[in-house]
Amino acid sequence: MVELVPALLRQELARLAEEDNRIDGRGRWDARDVSLETDCLYNAEGSAKVVIGGTVVYAGVKFELRTPWPDRPTQGSLMCGAELRPVAGRKYEPGPPSPQSIELGRVVDRGIRESGCIDMESLCIVPGEKVWGVMIDIHVLSDQGNIFDACGLAAIAALRTAVVPAERFDVGEDHKLLVNGTPIMASFTRVGGRFVLDANEEEELGGDERIHITLGDEGHLHSLQKGLKGVFTPAEFAEIFDVAQKRCVELRKLVAEKEGN
Amino acid sequence: MMGGYGDVQLLNDDGSRLDGRKVDEMRPVSIEAGVLPAADGSAMVTHGLNVAVAAVYGPMEAHPRKIQRQDRAVIDVRYNMAPFSTSDRIRPGFNRRSREISKVTAEALESVVLVERYPRSKIRVEIEILAAEAGTRCVGITAAAVALADAGIPMRDMIVGVASGKIEDTVVLDLDKAEDNYGQADLPVGILPNTGEIAFLQMDGDLSPDEFDLAMEYNFKAAKEIHGIMVDALKRKYDGGEA
Amino acid sequence: MSQGQAGAEQRLVTPGMAIGPSTGKRAGSGIIVAEESFIATQLGWLRERNNTVSVDPINAAYMPRSGDLVVGIVAEVRNNLWFMNINGSFQGLLPMSLAPWKVEFGAARQHMDVGDVVLARVQEVDECHNVVLTMKGVGLRRLNQGAVESIPVQHVDRVRGENNALLQRMRDACDCRIMVGENGRAWIEGSSEGISWARSALQQLVQEGHSKGFETILNEMENKTKGDA
Repeated sequence: MVELVPALLRQELARLAEEDNRIDGRGRWDARDVSLETDCLYNAEGSAKVVIGGTVVYAGVKFELRTPWPDRPTQGSLMCGAELRPVAGRKYEPGPPSPQSIELGRVVDRGIRESGCIDMESLCIVPGEKVWGVMIDIHVLSDQGNIFDACGLAAIAALRTAVVPAERFDVGEDHKLLVNGTPIMASFTRVGGRFVLDANEEEELGGDERIHITLGDEGHLHSLQKGLKGVFTPAEFAEIFDVAQKRCVELRKLVAEKEGN
Repeated sequence: MMGGYGDVQLLNDDGSRLDGRKVDEMRPVSIEAGVLPAADGSAMVTHGLNVAVAAVYGPMEAHPRKIQRQDRAVIDVRYNMAPFSTSDRIRPGFNRRSREISKVTAEALESVVLVERYPRSKIRVEIEILAAEAGTRCVGITAAAVALADAGIPMRDMIVGVASGKIEDTVVLDLDKAEDNYGQADLPVGILPNTGEIAFLQMDGDLSPDEFDLAMEYNFKAAKEIHGIMVDALKRKYDGGEA
Repeated sequence: MSQGQAGAEQRLVTPGMAIGPSTGKRAGSGIIVAEESFIATQLGWLRERNNTVSVDPINAAYMPRSGDLVVGIVAEVRNNLWFMNINGSFQGLLPMSLAPWKVEFGAARQHMDVGDVVLARVQEVDECHNVVLTMKGVGLRRLNQGAVESIPVQHVDRVRGENNALLQRMRDACDCRIMVGENGRAWIEGSSEGISWARSALQQLVQEGHSKGFETILNEMENKTKGDA
């Protein structure tokens, strides 16, 4: 369903931007409170719930035994998918996976995969015969803005707390999944002409293009995505890239705290 | 599903169940109302290890037009199990089981919602199972009822999903996963707690008429208990304190 | 979030709850009669007034009634009419003949386009929930400036106060124009500071009612505005 954008909303967002203000009173680079809960679902081998403002997202990790690809006999596999089902908001409709949900899943997938935090070789049980397939499924339950960051955070937190169910599959003892690193996503939306961090629902409704940056532990880029209609300048990117670095460090700390428990 | 595997022991020697429950004891239930800010009404129900979330949107114009009813609202239910909700991952997408449960759940809810107040409209009810440990359709119905009340949708009664069944020739309330897998019968129902009517009914397995009566007695007892928890959840959310 | 109103003891009821015998009293909104007993049909606060028992719902969808003032958003334009989103189940229809301008057939878009925000009134609602809007009337117009804030429809009366008294105090305090539509949308126009104050004041009022906390922020703003003048 195409959402109706009130002309007054765009007008107001532009006016607020000129005054360096936001519709909910936040500063340009301020994010809403984030809450993270891990190991919250029975049956998932790893799970996480993320709440950012009114956005609620769950991620669950499942494992399966499979035969490795012939050209990579010692490597397991990783897959990450997102579902934007009608539960998430009035604008979401039933039907086959929408382009938006496919984009969401793939952007999160790339960030995790390309960071190299999962060593595919470590998922090998018997070379050429048996490897683990790791599947992360992300489920958006309530969209009130910036589902990308919520999904990215839920996915990596679920992965980092996952236990490989080896006993159930009769291939050894259960053990923690080996994850070397915590890739984190930070998303920016152009609202009233300039980029802001962690846009809320109204800002997304009356805003323009968005940019998603996933950074690894060393601050290296692992995934970038520009979505929606609009263009930006290299100078604008440099500015948000600096903010993304700080934001990712904060969220990484939050994941580490949960693991410490 | 109901194999009646003779070699799996489901009752202890003292007559209690494997998880220590008595035959007429249900798993612990907790409910929270208004958990999804994007929805018009919502609820989360934890029943044993089951976790179900329901969101309600509407009433809104029913479309496509062909589903519109001139004299009442239609209730559009989607029951869905999250891929990570079961022991083996479920491929996303609709399947025959989900479709059937969605259909009968919608019809049960249409029996309590005052649908005639909203001609040509639809009320969307989204039931998402996040963790499944037997009995998810009942947990989903309970969640949907609290979400509908939370959304301010007028209903002549609430509806509570409960199930009883039979294991080792013994009628028990609220089957857990092992009991569901290896038991002899399962009788899920949707009960209107104030009128005592039944709006949802399914059964599979093998029950004698007497066993059916006892299973229904257990179901009514459990429905009363869960209804109290549903009302408490709504009061907690809106009355600023305990009921 | 506590929505308990000050004063008399309020009773929260849930759908299906038996309220008591129906003899000698009338069933108001949110109440049905079954076997000579009142049954609540909605989640809300029980109220008895003038021998009528009813429920003030905690959440409710907007049901348009003729005469309602509404803030609408143009959703569709045809040659000779506009469809408006009025926060209800169905769009409202504004025919060319009830627009405030003399409109040539096919020129509707020149006056109002998709996304434009308007102040309108509900002209009529038929039994099938079709809604006809009018913009003929004092103050009804396209809104070219200002902001729109959402308010739960069941709180519109609370926000306005007795004879609009509370609304008028808020208007004076922040020196803004504020119109509150029955459809749960408020339109606010004024300075940036005034608009953001009005937004947060409205939200506080919705959540707490006319509480001490709300009275404090209202007093602060009133004194500040007086001081500036």
